[in-house]
Amino acid sequence: MTSSAGQAEAVVRGAGAIRARPRAVLTSRLGEYAGFGPVLLLFGGFFFAPLVLIIAYSFWQVIDYNVVQNWTLDNYRYFLSVPTYVRTFIATLWMTALATVLTIGIAFPFAYWLTRYVSRSWQRPLLLLVIIPFWTSYLLRVASWITILGEGGVVNRTLEALGLIHQPLSFLLYNRWAVIFVLVYLYFPFAALTLFSALERFDWNQLKAAMDLGAPPLTAIWRIMLPQIRPGVITAVIFVFIPILGEYLTPQLVGGVDGVMIGNLVVNFFVGAQYTRGAAIALLITAIAVAMLILFRRSLVLEQVYGR
Amino acid sequence: MTLLERTMTRREALRAGLVGSVGLYIVACGGSTGGSSNAVTLNWITWNDHYMDDQLKAVHSSYQIDARVTLETDDSDGYLKIKQTKGQFDIASTDALWAPKFHSDGLTESFDISSIPASSQLYSVARDFPFWKDGSKTMGYPFGWSTIQIYYNPANVSPAPDSWHVLADSKYKGKVVAENQPTDLMAMAGLATGAKVPYGMTTDEIAKAKHFLQTCKPQFQKLVSQNSDVVKALADGSAWIGIENLGTDFRVKDAGGPTIKFVTPSEGTYGFIDCEQIVTASTNKDQFPKFINDMEQADWIAKNFIANGRPLFNEKAYKLLVDQGQKERADLLLYNKPEEALKMTLKGPSSNEQAYIDAFNEVFGA
Repeated sequence: MTSSAGQAEAVVRGAGAIRARPRAVLTSRLGEYAGFGPVLLLFGGFFFAPLVLIIAYSFWQVIDYNVVQNWTLDNYRYFLSVPTYVRTFIATLWMTALATVLTIGIAFPFAYWLTRYVSRSWQRPLLLLVIIPFWTSYLLRVASWITILGEGGVVNRTLEALGLIHQPLSFLLYNRWAVIFVLVYLYFPFAALTLFSALERFDWNQLKAAMDLGAPPLTAIWRIMLPQIRPGVITAVIFVFIPILGEYLTPQLVGGVDGVMIGNLVVNFFVGAQYTRGAAIALLITAIAVAMLILFRRSLVLEQVYGR
Repeated sequence: MTLLERTMTRREALRAGLVGSVGLYIVACGGSTGGSSNAVTLNWITWNDHYMDDQLKAVHSSYQIDARVTLETDDSDGYLKIKQTKGQFDIASTDALWAPKFHSDGLTESFDISSIPASSQLYSVARDFPFWKDGSKTMGYPFGWSTIQIYYNPANVSPAPDSWHVLADSKYKGKVVAENQPTDLMAMAGLATGAKVPYGMTTDEIAKAKHFLQTCKPQFQKLVSQNSDVVKALADGSAWIGIENLGTDFRVKDAGGPTIKFVTPSEGTYGFIDCEQIVTASTNKDQFPKFINDMEQADWIAKNFIANGRPLFNEKAYKLLVDQGQKERADLLLYNKPEEALKMTLKGPSSNEQAYIDAFNEVFGA
């Protein structure tokens, strides 16, 4: 190739490169975000868009079973002005908080024991046992407690067979405590797995060092371990608290008339085609969940929870 | 460099994202393209006692018509689903005065019932329900009916109740079970408190009905989602009183429970007469007569009665039941008296549904 021919080719290549550059840049940019495609489709189409619709619905009205686009705050005003809803919200919040505390309170010692005292070869089988209930349907897991706690259930029959009672105990089901109990059972695996993941990466030598320096065990746990696994604990709280806040099925099945949570009232609105009322109250629940996420946002460093 | 550490090129990432998005789209759209090329699939929004799985299979194998069932919780649920999805459904099951509502709002259309040969098997009264007449046509193909009344365990409930007001008796605290149907329970409370039109109560009547439900609330143990839960509670003795459809006494007995009696309250009762309607926006309307004709044959209706135990409108099926030795049961469940269906307060859309649901929630909230 002569020098002039080479220069001409270089010019042609250069021109091609200039033409190709915007496309290459575009491809490059798209490539960077391509991995988000499925997530964008999923959350954009099936979460964000419905959420926008729910927000709009909450400001509309239903007239004669038709959703009418009359913009109004009536739905929100109604919930905030009727004591039943305020009471039900408060009851839901304390039930959720108590169930969360109990779940974490039971899951933490379990995760602690599993990571500290159980050999690695046994940890996996034991964790498998924790998640085995997930192999059955959620509905079945809740309904099974009716068979256990009901008047003709396993507990009552056993107590009767032992001669400890002569009439079935009716307080085991259809009240708030039954709901809380079953919720703790249902959400225990979420808390246990999250806490296990956090504790697994904790350097136990630090705990030993604290105790060597005279700290009582509980003080060592409180001042040395908990600050380091805090993101894991908070993640567990979020994984348990937020789903329970919107629970409907568990109170429906084991709560009876006395164990109603706000989710049950939302369902009644939808059953009665009062979509706008239902949307507004559902958004109030969402607002509580979002407020909680904001409250804990500083502690939500996922790398600290799950590691790299 | 391990496989996991290897950096993905942009081209690979782009391709992966594209494949993922397309995959997700296909999954979201239903994906499957399987099925017989000749078979027609009808989307049917209904209740689970309107069909049996064997029946659907038989209709499919004999007539190449598939039914894809979507269960509805209530008529209002079906109403909104059809309204919002337009032609996604072909057939809708609706109750009594809901059928005219669907029809007048353009969601369903009427048809000539005599074009369906199986209609000759129906009781004549069922072919001529006045509220379903649209000139010479009918709005729905009649299926079944039931009153809703009080079932009670005579071993625990004494004296025998004769009024809805037994629900307010504190002797039965925590011993009453009913289905969680807010509008219907409000209508029941309306009957109990003397409302003139239980599904169209005035504000004052709603207030009275709400107060009555508040008085009854301590007696309610739970509000369940399925009829079978009421049967179970009466069968295991955890509930003494249930508010249910005809046939609950038999179902409780079948479930190994005690003898349960029923009473029609002196204030009157409410209930449903249900039917199958053609959805206006359906693209398979021509298949409706054929499908209904296949589904409504007497032998299948007789089997349905045995399975679900409430009166149906197929007279030929009644005769089959008599031949099969089921006369006593059929008569006790008023199968042979379809005109009784017209004596109850018919289930229908409320004139002020929001006020009904608000009142119900205000009673049954915390």
